[in-house]
Amino acid sequence: MDNDNASDAVLAVVIDTIRATVSEDWIEDYEIGPDTRLSDDLDLESIEVVKLVEALQTRFAGADLIGWLSGKTLPELMGLNVGMLAAALRGD
Amino acid sequence: MARILCTVPPLIGHLNPALAVAAALEARGHIVAWVVHGDRVGSHLPVAAQRYPLGAYDEAVAERYRALRGPESLRYFHEEYMVRMARDSFDALEAALLDFRPDLLLVDQHMVAGALAARKHGLPWVTLAATSAALMAAAPQFEDWLRQLLLHLQEDLLPSELHRARPDLSPHGVLVFSVRELAEAAGERAMQPCFYVGPAGSAARREIEFPWEWLNPNVPAVLATLGTVSRDSEPRFFEVLFDAAAALDIQVVAVAPEALAVKAPANVLVQPYVPQPELLQRMAGVVCHAGHNTVCEALAAGLPLALAPILGDQPYVARQVIAAGAGIPLRFGKVSVPVMRAALERLLSDAVLRTAAQRLAEALHAAPGAAGAADVIETVLAGDPTVAADAVPASGG
Repeated sequence: MDNDNASDAVLAVVIDTIRATVSEDWIEDYEIGPDTRLSDDLDLESIEVVKLVEALQTRFAGADLIGWLSGKTLPELMGLNVGMLAAALRGD
Repeated sequence: MARILCTVPPLIGHLNPALAVAAALEARGHIVAWVVHGDRVGSHLPVAAQRYPLGAYDEAVAERYRALRGPESLRYFHEEYMVRMARDSFDALEAALLDFRPDLLLVDQHMVAGALAARKHGLPWVTLAATSAALMAAAPQFEDWLRQLLLHLQEDLLPSELHRARPDLSPHGVLVFSVRELAEAAGERAMQPCFYVGPAGSAARREIEFPWEWLNPNVPAVLATLGTVSRDSEPRFFEVLFDAAAALDIQVVAVAPEALAVKAPANVLVQPYVPQPELLQRMAGVVCHAGHNTVCEALAAGLPLALAPILGDQPYVARQVIAAGAGIPLRFGKVSVPVMRAALERLLSDAVLRTAAQRLAEALHAAPGAAGAADVIETVLAGDPTVAADAVPASGG
């Protein structure tokens, strides 16, 4: 139960950070969950993904999210979703 | 007088500048022959031009591309379109080369078979870069992936000593139909030295009728276009635009399917085709998909742009315009009526945007165009050693 709460908390921070990074009207009401894809669903461009990851990295100083991202191949990057970012932050 | 073999993919934005350069070369007494998909672009070539046909062109591949978005469209374009076309065309290109015996090849950056055939036969060749976006190193993951793709292609077609990390870029010269002030505005540098010759070839287009009397010269006007590739793909974007324009004292000419006209408010004119370069002279701003040709034409007219990139290289072209200070970003699939309305208002009122666009217009007009391209090609033909050094080998990336 503690674990689930912690997961939810990380996920919530990821979602908040996405809304703050995109900062456009549509994102406020857009339903974002673990399966929401950064590229196909949110239409984020590669530089926006980098901006988002940098913002999360600042928030979670202990995680190596930038290193994690640079290890991804092109197909993996294209399939990135919100849940994967949260899992990487939790160190899953 | 030299013999020059030119090859481009059957995409009009790639063919137009090549035609302009070929015409400039012919005016100087050179002979230009073409290796193209004759069924697709043959009718655009000069009647007397010697031509070597490439095999069948799979329209379904291009059709699928049009339906894609973002990075998936980029992957698909390189893998299913560019590399597949290189494999399908290599034998025909080599046969054309052996028959025509050119002194030099002109090869569109995305017609990789031409580059490989020239390298195999040790002939000088010049790259035609129809878009400035593909010259900049992309994200490392994409660049690694692309180089692997190109390496596998070369392994099938060339001996290993002829493999190169970026076989699509000629060591003899790369001609870019843009200007440095735009292409390098985001701080990126081209992967190898290039000749920025500016736009070429929009003058050769056919006449298109337009109801000029519709435009009121006392009301500012905006052109909205998604280009020929995406024009019919998504009505939502135009519907948002119509709603945003309805509340403003402006005129909008929307290049969209006629079926959308019923949804347009009185101050929006829907036309399936427009005489774009002439029409831009009457506009005050442009809303578009960040296609390379439309962007260059709008900027040449000194017009600021609202950019909603859809696929392929468009996000990269949009980034260049925004970095140069002449564009504002829109998110194609998500833009709302209030955001669109704000963008339209800013296009017409923001003096900083307009000044940046006018500065780029000066650079585009000062660029030498097709004649400058012909100058570079003649320098390569003369064997100038400054452009003859070969590129980095494939190993070491």
